[in-house]
Amino acid sequence: MPEKEEEEIKERSADDLFKDFKAVSITEFFRKNKAHLGYSGKLRSLTTVVHELVTNSLDACEEAGILPDIDVVVKQVGEEHYSFMCRDNGPGIPEKHIGGVFGQMLAGTKFHRNVQLRGQQGIGVAGVTLFAQMTTGKPVRILTSTGNGKVNDVKLLVDVTRNSADIMENNVINQKWRGTEIHGELKGVSFNLGERSPYEYIRRTAIANPHAKVTFVDPEGRKSVFDRTSKEIPRPPKEMKPHPKGMDTDDLLNRAKRSANRSIAGFLETEFSRISKAKVDEIQSKINFDLKKNPRKITWPEAEEITKAFVQVDFMAPPVEGLRPIGEKQIENAVLKILKPEFSSVLTRSPTVYGGGVPFQIEVAIAFGGNAGRLATGEESEANRVEVMRFANRTPLLFDAGACAIMQAVSSVEWKRYDVKDFESTPITIFVNLVSMYVPYTSAGKQSVSAEEEIVKEIRMALMDVGRKFQRYHSRMRREIEREARMNALLKYSAELAAAVAKLTGRDEKKLAKTLHILITKKLKLEYKAEMEGAEASEEEAPASLKGESEE
Amino acid sequence: MAGKDNRKEVIRKLKGLGEDIALSIESDKVPKMKVPLRSFSNIQFDKQSNLLRMGDKTSLRNFMNVAHTKKFMQTMLIASKCEELVDRDKTASIRELYYQLKHTVAGTKENTFEGQDESDPLIVDLETMLSVLREELHLKADDKGTIIGNIVIEDSGDFIDCSKLGRSGLAVPSIVEQYKFHEVKADYCLVIETGAMFDRLVEEKYPQKNNCIMVSTKGQAARGCRRLLNRINKELKMPVIMFTDGDPWGYYIYSVVKAGSMALAHESERLGTPKSRFVGMTVTDVEEFGLEKVTEELKDVDKKRISELLQYPWFQTKEWRHELKLMEEKGVRIEQQALASKSLEFVAEEYLPEKIEKGELLP
Repeated sequence: MPEKEEEEIKERSADDLFKDFKAVSITEFFRKNKAHLGYSGKLRSLTTVVHELVTNSLDACEEAGILPDIDVVVKQVGEEHYSFMCRDNGPGIPEKHIGGVFGQMLAGTKFHRNVQLRGQQGIGVAGVTLFAQMTTGKPVRILTSTGNGKVNDVKLLVDVTRNSADIMENNVINQKWRGTEIHGELKGVSFNLGERSPYEYIRRTAIANPHAKVTFVDPEGRKSVFDRTSKEIPRPPKEMKPHPKGMDTDDLLNRAKRSANRSIAGFLETEFSRISKAKVDEIQSKINFDLKKNPRKITWPEAEEITKAFVQVDFMAPPVEGLRPIGEKQIENAVLKILKPEFSSVLTRSPTVYGGGVPFQIEVAIAFGGNAGRLATGEESEANRVEVMRFANRTPLLFDAGACAIMQAVSSVEWKRYDVKDFESTPITIFVNLVSMYVPYTSAGKQSVSAEEEIVKEIRMALMDVGRKFQRYHSRMRREIEREARMNALLKYSAELAAAVAKLTGRDEKKLAKTLHILITKKLKLEYKAEMEGAEASEEEAPASLKGESEE
Repeated sequence: MAGKDNRKEVIRKLKGLGEDIALSIESDKVPKMKVPLRSFSNIQFDKQSNLLRMGDKTSLRNFMNVAHTKKFMQTMLIASKCEELVDRDKTASIRELYYQLKHTVAGTKENTFEGQDESDPLIVDLETMLSVLREELHLKADDKGTIIGNIVIEDSGDFIDCSKLGRSGLAVPSIVEQYKFHEVKADYCLVIETGAMFDRLVEEKYPQKNNCIMVSTKGQAARGCRRLLNRINKELKMPVIMFTDGDPWGYYIYSVVKAGSMALAHESERLGTPKSRFVGMTVTDVEEFGLEKVTEELKDVDKKRISELLQYPWFQTKEWRHELKLMEEKGVRIEQQALASKSLEFVAEEYLPEKIEKGELLP
C-alpha cells in the first residue's frame, strides 16, 4: 500500500493545500483532541455527553437564579447505538444564540475569565453536536424557550467549514414553557451502571448539587429520581484577581508584559488582590529597583525580586467571594438523603492558595453504612466497599483517578488510625470537592486534579479531621455492641442462677430472677454512664494527642 | 460414711453459700464468691510433713464479669444439686452429676454444661470454697485401681478377702472411708503404675512369695486409691513402695501418691503418703541390669516435663535431682515391661526382691 501511495504523490500548490484547511481544522481539531475532550472509549464518550449536557443546564440555571430541574433519558437504539435526551427548566436560549451555543466550537462565554465555573474549555455542548454528527451523520434537535410563549424547535449540525451552526429546521411553536431540551443519537458508545457510567455521574452530581433535582432514565427503563435537598441557589461566582502568595516569576512577568498600567507599582496595586498602597511600599523597601518602572519593560531578575518580596511580606488571605463551596449543611443533607448512612461527617475548610496565588477551598464528607460505599458485585458476596467521590467545582470526576491529587490525599491518610481496619472493604463513601476558579487539571480531559502540594495537604487535613469524627462514632458504636453482648450474656445465665439459688435457699424463683434482672440492667447502665463520661473526657484530649499528625 | 450431723453441717454450708448470693442480689450488690486459687502460684511444699499444701490466695468470681458469668452460674447449679443429694442421702458419680445438670439454657442453643470437663473443676472449687470433702458432697469419681493380697477388708458389713479374688483383685472405689481393715498379713504394700505389670506380678505369685499387698493405680492414681494407700500406711503402719515406668510421667505419679497433687492440695493430708518410697524404674537401673538395648529416646515433651519436675520443690532431694539429671543427660526412658527382655520372671524373681531387700529405694 505505501508504495502505491508514493506513486500518486504530486506537487500541489499552496492555494490548493489551503483550500480545505478550515473544513478540516474543526473536525481534525476534534478528532485529534478527542481523548482530551473526553470522547474516548465507548462508555466514557457517553458519560461525557451526559456530563456536557447536565453541566450546561446547571450553569444556565444558576446564572439565571433558577432551581434546576433536569431530566436525562438514555435509550438503546441498536448495538452500540444510543439516543439521549436532556431537558432543563433553565432560562432558555434566545433564538439568535441557539446556533452559537449548540453549533459553534470554542465560543463559550467562560473562556479567559478568572471565574469558578464548571466548564472551562469552551468546547462544551457543541462538542456533543459534533460527536453525534460524526458518529451518526444526524443533526441534534433542540427545543428551547425563554418563556415568552414561543418555543423554537430546531434541528442543527455543526458546519465544519465555517465552525458555525448549520440550522436545518427551525419551527416556532406557540407554547407557554421555559427551558431547553436536546435530543440526539450516538454510535460507537455503550452503557452500564458501573462506577464510571452516566448513572454514577448523575448520582454524584446530585450529591454535589443539592439544589438540583435530577431524574435519570437508563436504557433498561429504570428511573432514578434525585430530589433536591436544598432550595438555596449557589451565589453567582465573581471574577477574581490573583493573590501574590505563591505567584511565580514566569507568571508575574507575563502579567506585567500584558499590563496597561504605567508603573509596576500601579500594576501590583490594581491587578492583584490584597496588595494595597502600603504593601507596595513594603515591597519597594525589599527590592533594589524603582517600582515606578514601566511594567512592560520588566526584566526576569526584577520579576524574581518581586516574587521573593511576596514571600517575605504578609498579605491578607485571598478574598473568598469568588469561591462557591457547596456548604456543610447542604452536603450533609444531600449525603443523608442519597446515601442514607449510619454515620456521616462533613467539613468545609477555610480557603487558601496554591501555586500561583490561586485561591481554593476543600470540602470533604465521610459517610459510613447504609448505601455508602460502592457495591462490589461478582465476588463471593455482595458487599459495599470503599468509594471515593471526586469533584471539582461540584462536577464529578470519574476517570483518570490514578494521578489525581484527591486520590493521593485519600491514600496518604492512615485510615487504620481512625478505626478503619480494612480501608478497601469498608462501606465508606469519601466525598472530596475542590473549589477553585482555576482547577489545575492534569490534562484537558478534566478528570484528574494535578497533585499540587498545597491541595494534597489541604485535602489530607480535611480527611483526617472527618476521620477523627468517624473514629469517635465508631468506637462509641463498638462500645454499644459490646455492652449489648454483655447484657445478653448476663441475662442469659441469670435465670439459671436464680433458679439454683432459689432452690438452695427456699426463695421464690420468679421474684429472685426479677430482682437479679433489675440489678443487672442497673449496674450496666451505671457502668455505661461512667464509661461515656470517661470517653468524652478522653475525646477532649484527642486533638492535642493527634497534634503531631495534624501539624506535619 | 459421714454421719447425720456431718450431713447437716454440709447442708448448712451449701445453703449458706446460696444465702450469701441471694442476699447480695436482694440488697442491690453484685453477686460474688471467693474461690481458693488452685494453681502452682498458690501451692506450697511443706518440708516438715513432706506434703503439698494450698496457700491462702483466693480469686473473686464476679457474676457481672462476663468471663466469670457462666462459671458462676454453673457453680451454683452444682451447689444446689449437691444439697439435694446430701438431703436425700444419695451419692452420685461426677459423671451422673454432669448429666443431671446438663440442659439447654432457656432461649439459647447453649447447654448449661458442654462437657464433664466443665463441671469437674467446679466440684473441686466447691470443695475448697466450703472446706468440705467430695464424699461429704455425696459425689464420687469412677472406680479406678485394684488391690490384691493378704488383707481382709470390711465394706458395709461384707468381708472381702483380697487374697481370694483370683487374678483380678478388688476394684478400689472412689470413696474408701467406710473400709475397715482386718487380718492383715503383709510386710509392705507395692504400688504398680501399669495394669500389665500388675498382672505379670499376680501371675508370678509375687504377693504370696514376698508377703505383700499389691495395688495398681492404672496410670495417675485416683483419689480412692490415694486415700487407700494413705490409710494403709497410716493405720496399718505398712511401708508403701512404688513401682512405675522410668520416665517423668511415672515419677510424677509417684510424687502425687507421696506428696499430693496441685489440684487437690487442700486434701494432701488425707491423700498423700509422705513416707512412701520408690523402687524403680530408674536410669541407674539401665546400667545396673544391662537394659541399654531396650530404652526409648526421650521426646521433646518428655524433656520439657523433666525440666518442670526439676523446678518443683518436692523433687529437690539429691537422689531425685540425680535421677532426673541422669535421664536428661542420657536422653532415654525405660518402661517397666522392658524388664521382660531378660525373662518374664525376671521382674518378680530378681529385680524387685533384690532391690527391696537391699533397700535400694529412692525417697
